[in-house]
Amino acid sequence: MFDVGGVEGNGRTDAVAFLATVPLLDGVPPATLEALARVLRRRDVAAGEVIWHEGDEAEAMLLVVDGRVSVSLRLPGDRAVEVSAVGPGEVLGEVPLLDGGRHSATARASEPTSLLSLSRADFAALVSGRHPTAFALKRRIAGVACVRLRHQLAGLAASLGGSEAAEVAIAAPADLEFCGAPNSAYVRRFATFRAFDSLALWGFLTAGRFARCPAGRTLVAEGSRAPACYLTINGAVEKVIVRGGRRIRVGLAGPGQAFGYESLIDGEPSPVTAATRERTLLLVLPQEAFERLFNGETNISHVFLDVINRDLMAALRQALRPHARLASLH
Amino acid sequence: MCRVLAYLGDPISLEHVLFETDSSLVRQSYSPRMMAAFLNLAGFGMVAWDPRSVHADDPFTYRVTTLPAFDRNLHALASKLAPTCLVAHVRGITYSHREMIAEANLHPFRFGGASVALAHNGHLREFARMRYDLISHVRPELAQKIEGTTDSEWIYALVLSQLADPFGVPEPDELAGAAVSTLRLLREVRGRHGIDTSSPVNLCLTTGHALVATRFSFDYGWYPDEDELLETDLPYVSLWYTVGGEYVERDGESAMTASDTPRSLLVASEPLTVDTSTWLEVPEYSMITAVRTAAGLDFETLDLDV
Repeated sequence: MFDVGGVEGNGRTDAVAFLATVPLLDGVPPATLEALARVLRRRDVAAGEVIWHEGDEAEAMLLVVDGRVSVSLRLPGDRAVEVSAVGPGEVLGEVPLLDGGRHSATARASEPTSLLSLSRADFAALVSGRHPTAFALKRRIAGVACVRLRHQLAGLAASLGGSEAAEVAIAAPADLEFCGAPNSAYVRRFATFRAFDSLALWGFLTAGRFARCPAGRTLVAEGSRAPACYLTINGAVEKVIVRGGRRIRVGLAGPGQAFGYESLIDGEPSPVTAATRERTLLLVLPQEAFERLFNGETNISHVFLDVINRDLMAALRQALRPHARLASLH
Repeated sequence: MCRVLAYLGDPISLEHVLFETDSSLVRQSYSPRMMAAFLNLAGFGMVAWDPRSVHADDPFTYRVTTLPAFDRNLHALASKLAPTCLVAHVRGITYSHREMIAEANLHPFRFGGASVALAHNGHLREFARMRYDLISHVRPELAQKIEGTTDSEWIYALVLSQLADPFGVPEPDELAGAAVSTLRLLREVRGRHGIDTSSPVNLCLTTGHALVATRFSFDYGWYPDEDELLETDLPYVSLWYTVGGEYVERDGESAMTASDTPRSLLVASEPLTVDTSTWLEVPEYSMITAVRTAAGLDFETLDLDV
């Protein structure tokens, strides 16, 4: 086993070789991995040891070198349910580092486990710059979060039993009623946008078109690729999984929250159906506009990647809620 | 916007849930954790049923416009009470000369002779425009009991008016149905007046034997240009619950104990503890119903299709 955190020589070389195999760091240049290895701290935990509790302040993101970590939610009535298990090469604890919240679940080593710890400050330094590595990392974070979200949603879909999702007709972007932009002072009040530079925000908001949509209209169908990424400006959009007559709401995209981006990020079919619960004003970003922003390296892309990643973190947290509710019934 | 607490189950220490937990209801009056814009300092009210008390079907009732954190009488009473059903409420209003702080405006509402009590967290925007349209949906004998100036008391009168006998003890299904019918009526009247901005209506209704709680908003996500309530800061007015054996403090932690079948249910605008991990969110656009049975507590969560 290698060692890092001030250790010179072979230990650091091993660490760099390990980091090169971590999916989250795919495409990060060797020089950055070398720099990363210098700030990582090794942590070994015994089987059964709690790494953090749900609700704890988040201090670091962890990379699992070997071993296994069980991620669980507490339930009322002194119970708990495992929501995932994380193994070698996978990351843990990135959600609160990205959205500023607390740990959404308890992490406990299910066997002797070696971890590499990246502090909140070092993580922020890594992703907050405008250099190509920061952009690449944000895209990788989005990709890894998509995989995790799909896993969580697949678990919820399985709990409903039954067959595949039924086909539903969607309202294509071209069928929506396009309209003018909303008051920018209103948009700026969204928590999502408060920290952003005015010009970058303007660039983001003018990359798509605004459209009105009545309540009850399906915009994204589970099992099909979404035709666009949408951002709710006013109103609300439900994200649901439906099997036969059973239905679980896995998220609600209110003002400032996005939906439909998963399949535009990873090319896979949408994991949920998204339908307007209220009449809604949307910012519609067709695939081409989405890809331009997602893959760009401008200030506007910097804003956009942050919006998408924060939304993904919110979606991951929201998807835990029905999981806990369903588990509490058994 | 206010904070509300409702309970049904085994006897519960009132002092514990009102004063002792690290985010107790009284703490939420001056230090709420899930609302940023203002505090809940416009009064405190509660109804609490204790089957061992005299006239067990009538709740103990307490309402006061003073600050509950400094209310020694309330603290002293709470230390002696262990109800099996409770609705308590700290009132929050916008800082405005138009608002009125008065005992008649304090929740929970319970008209003389009625068995149903109601507390509301939310508001009906442009209520003044709706009020006179609503009168035709309120039974005259109930309309004359309205004493205060709040939208919430009118919602209460509307709920009672939907019951076959407003002064009887409705079954849980009828109580839940009355809540849904009231929301539909409000939607209809809002539509007639072209009122189409966000109006949260989280209701807690109880008879002492059954509990109904809604997490609902009309036109969520649409705000007037001058939004005094800064609702964009509140993603969707919150409602949480925890369920289990009994709600007690053990090893320094307040939580529901384990139980093979649920016996007790706590519902609150925000968890009573800073650590929210033993609480679950009531889904948006849904309703919890609960009733005490010989075996414990029957409770379920239903979608609100309004």
